[in-house]
Amino acid sequence: MGRVIVVTSGKGGVGKTTSTANLGTALALLDKTVVVVDADVGLRNLDIVMGLESRIVYTSMDVIEKQCELNKALVRDRRVDGLMLLAASQKNNKDDIQPEQMKAICDKLRTTHDFVLIDSPAGIERGFRNASAGADEAIIVTTPDVSAIRDADRIIGLLQNARIEPINLVLNRFSAELVGNGSMMDQDDVLDILNIDLIGVVPEDSGVITSTNRGIPLVYEDGSPGAQAYMRIARRLTGQRIPIPDFAQKGLLNNIMNWFKKKK
Amino acid sequence: MANPIVALRAYRDGLHLIIKPHLSIAEVEEAIQQEISRMNRSLSGTSVQIVLKCPVLEEEEISLLRSKLQETYDLTVRGVEVTEAPVSAPIAAAPTMHTITPATDSRDSRDSEPSRIVPHTIRSGQTEEFPQGSLIIYGDVNSGSEVRAGGDIVVLGTLRGSAYAGMNGRLSAVIIAMDLAALQLQIGNYMHRPTVSQKPRGYPEIARIGAEDVIIVEKFVKF
Repeated sequence: MGRVIVVTSGKGGVGKTTSTANLGTALALLDKTVVVVDADVGLRNLDIVMGLESRIVYTSMDVIEKQCELNKALVRDRRVDGLMLLAASQKNNKDDIQPEQMKAICDKLRTTHDFVLIDSPAGIERGFRNASAGADEAIIVTTPDVSAIRDADRIIGLLQNARIEPINLVLNRFSAELVGNGSMMDQDDVLDILNIDLIGVVPEDSGVITSTNRGIPLVYEDGSPGAQAYMRIARRLTGQRIPIPDFAQKGLLNNIMNWFKKKK
Repeated sequence: MANPIVALRAYRDGLHLIIKPHLSIAEVEEAIQQEISRMNRSLSGTSVQIVLKCPVLEEEEISLLRSKLQETYDLTVRGVEVTEAPVSAPIAAAPTMHTITPATDSRDSRDSEPSRIVPHTIRSGQTEEFPQGSLIIYGDVNSGSEVRAGGDIVVLGTLRGSAYAGMNGRLSAVIIAMDLAALQLQIGNYMHRPTVSQKPRGYPEIARIGAEDVIIVEKFVKF
């Protein structure tokens, strides 16, 4: 039986879609079978970030309306084995789908795949309820700013009421430099407020923008700090124990200091 | 020193004339005179809302007050409202000096009240309400959430949301938090917006209505 994980945040623009695309790809690179589901009906984006836009024939709406079989609507990602996308309909809107229908799709997908990642829309309304209906776990994506954190806090409350657990946190767009000069919350401050388990910290990486525009998730090109962070999160999702590096300690000066400390 | 019977307060909707428990209407009139003379500016032409925090005045006493205010001080009475009086203090037994301090309606009401334990953090958008008594929260009260209780509120964590204790008018209610970082506190009808400091103080704090009828927040040592 596969795991159904909803990727959500409350606030928009914090990196839900980017995280879904990268974690899905990273899990597939770790030899898992994965479906990424775009639940943002009417404002779909996951297909673009995954670079699969041109290959969509059927959407989840067609499956619900029984226009096609579920496995026919899945778009196979040719770059890696075991990665599929279920696109959202761009013509409909969120009220056209019922939470039960999403749940039925998720329950079917989990019988054939190791991971089902659902890319939730922003907000706490119908779109979010649809996205979380079939999930048994959640990943909260937040950036270290107060408005995103308050929204994440709201979402965590709603997920807990819906008995969706565990809830793991991805701290996105983390800037060691800003934390260093005291103008950004560090991960301890964020965890102090949200009080859930941290599964990963993704540093600010300008590579994300180019990768989105080219439709190639970051994790395909190893080496960038963002790609490494997503690979680590994917490994943690599969149960491996990998420590979270302390990004705040980075920077040339700190590296030199640490080097001296080690020598002693 | 604050007048024990009558208080004039400026609120967003204008002046409020608050009348607390008293012995006679004559005493009230005297107190009004004192209170108005205490203010250094003329109130001529303004309007005032009478707020009764005492067992209700007779109809004719109110109209007497109304005309008295109009004639003597040129104050128009906008309206009369009755907010729930602290249940205690039957008039005859009340001492002439009746100030509201945490001690007056005492432990008794606190002891007879039920309390409810909330064994988790209260998150943004969630509201916890318990009008019958006190709330004890084993966790944080996060920004964007609200806790309301008829009695006290005790937060065994950080209070970042808004807290409203004594929602039924029990002014001896207090708010205690291990880290009191709330943006807004309310006890009975009194409101307080603590100055926000970024750093946690590192000790628990208590908010209560002090002798000057304002909410004070201080280090919580013991009750």
